Amino acid sequence: MNNKEALVICRCEEVTYGQVFATAKEHKCTSRELKLRTRAGMGFCGGRTCRVMVDRIIESIVPNTEEGDIPLKYQPPIRPVTFGTVGENHE
Amino acid sequence: MIDVIVIGAGPAGLAGAISCAENGLKVTVIDEFVRPGGRLLGQLHQEPSGEWWNGIKESEHLHNEAQKQSIDIRCGVSVYNLEKDEDAWNVHTNIGTLTAPYVLVATGAAEFPIPVPGWTLPGVMSVGAAQVMTNVHRVEVGKKGIIIGANILAFAILNELQLAGINVERIVLPEKSPLSKNAGEPEVVMKSLLNAAHLAPSPILRFGSSFMKNEGFRKLGMKFFPKSGVKVNGTPLQLRKAALEILGKDQVEGVLTADIDVNGNVIKGTEKVYEADFVCIAGGLYPLAELTAVAGCPFKYVPELGGHVPHHSEKMETPLEGLFVAGNITGIESGKIAMAQGTTAGISIAKHAGKGSTDINEKLEQAMKNVHTVRQNAAIQFNPEVANGRRKIYELWDVFYGKEQDTLQEIG
Amino acid sequence: MNRIIDHPVLGKLDDRKKIPFTFEGKEYEALENETIAAALLANDVRTLRVHEESGTPRGFYCNIGHCMECRVNVNGQANVRACLTVVKENMVVEKGKQHPNIVKRMVENR
Repeated sequence: MNNKEALVICRCEEVTYGQVFATAKEHKCTSRELKLRTRAGMGFCGGRTCRVMVDRIIESIVPNTEEGDIPLKYQPPIRPVTFGTVGENHE
Repeated sequence: MIDVIVIGAGPAGLAGAISCAENGLKVTVIDEFVRPGGRLLGQLHQEPSGEWWNGIKESEHLHNEAQKQSIDIRCGVSVYNLEKDEDAWNVHTNIGTLTAPYVLVATGAAEFPIPVPGWTLPGVMSVGAAQVMTNVHRVEVGKKGIIIGANILAFAILNELQLAGINVERIVLPEKSPLSKNAGEPEVVMKSLLNAAHLAPSPILRFGSSFMKNEGFRKLGMKFFPKSGVKVNGTPLQLRKAALEILGKDQVEGVLTADIDVNGNVIKGTEKVYEADFVCIAGGLYPLAELTAVAGCPFKYVPELGGHVPHHSEKMETPLEGLFVAGNITGIESGKIAMAQGTTAGISIAKHAGKGSTDINEKLEQAMKNVHTVRQNAAIQFNPEVANGRRKIYELWDVFYGKEQDTLQEIG
Repeated sequence: MNRIIDHPVLGKLDDRKKIPFTFEGKEYEALENETIAAALLANDVRTLRVHEESGTPRGFYCNIGHCMECRVNVNGQANVRACLTVVKENMVVEKGKQHPNIVKRMVENR
């Protein structure tokens, strides 16, 4: 995978493999930090598609992370909702 | 007042709702899709007996049963949060908050994506998307397609596309990378296919190729795997070819491929473009557990079950009071297992709620036994080690929660 | 039209009512109870939106409501999933459009 710098990982925010890989390599960071730094997984779908791929990039770079080590942490809302919905403003 | 909210109207959720209602509980089922059935809707394969497993018929059957039990089924409802206050669960949805003392989370599975350059082009879809378009909506996904990724789900859906007259030109592997992992390694892929071959859903699918059936060839391994691939019901399975890029301007026009060695490394100078107007990405399934995660349920990573699964007992309880799980959220298996688990969960909920007749304990035992029986007779198995994975999670339950449960029962 | 009319196991496609709707101002026909994504695909329309920033074309990816790639505008409401929304008579459907990201531009030009 040498020519895959421009491969889109996060479809919502169009974050590339190159960006995620370089950031993970530089910062050896957690999944959360990686997302905040690159915006991968922070778009409209909330990482529903790319999350596992972002985790795999970390597993491939950060020492001593095995598959499954990255804890399964989710935060609500797990579906995009309007402020009206969260405020229970149902007309 | 609702007793039980079931999240997901697939095989597990509907079976669970029915068994709750049969035991005297008032049930509401919610689902995001336009009709009940979940991923069962798209399933279509021939059983070893020759009979067809028609997911649409099975879904209708479950739906009818549910209606007989006056179960409230609401489609087009999305859940965005699940949390508990003192004595009840709040299920937050786009139509407002539903509240009940018991919740059964039966959200099923999601597909692993495999990012490939060009995969954002219209016409590229998950293989499950093609299944739904074909069998549920009855709309052709294209005239000429390529599947990227070789696994049991891909073969099951390949068969369904072929049945509907959709032309799938070839199955190739994704390029080996930290993203595709094993899915890009011919030897690993072949081994996993051979492990599952005898369990595949239809006689045609049981690797109907002389190459794969011949033990001599198998032992020789990938080195002698024909470059042109082996035919699976007419579609070449090319384990020595990888997709490098999906090509097209406004939509899919083709796939750039290259030959790969037995370890999945690209052989330079072998690049070749194949025309296509649709591409399916088949990354396999993982348990869709996000709702139990936001509810605060602990997790265990069990590869045999497909990924992170919420801690749960064989009775389908989670460590969180009133929260139950069933179906693919507990591990990737067939729709029939999901139904059997749903039934177990329903009886289990009834028992916790103090409902059901005096023989509720026997019923629960029977339902748990039935899950094993269905598994033993399963025509489709996603992971040959699934029974081991199940054992791991039940052992974990006994270690963490077994004593506590016993005490509770004694007191209760 | 690319509907699978005859299926060897599932049988013939039900004879359903035709529902008129528009996409990007053009008239199309869906079958009763069909989703926007299915109806448009049956009419050879694959591109449901363009990426807000880059303008790259997108269609449905997962078809079951997870990926949010198929979001369209329906009767003026933005970000409706085409794969989970049934076409209703005279529905007005429009693509998700490209929008300039002013903040990002400002940051880049700093």
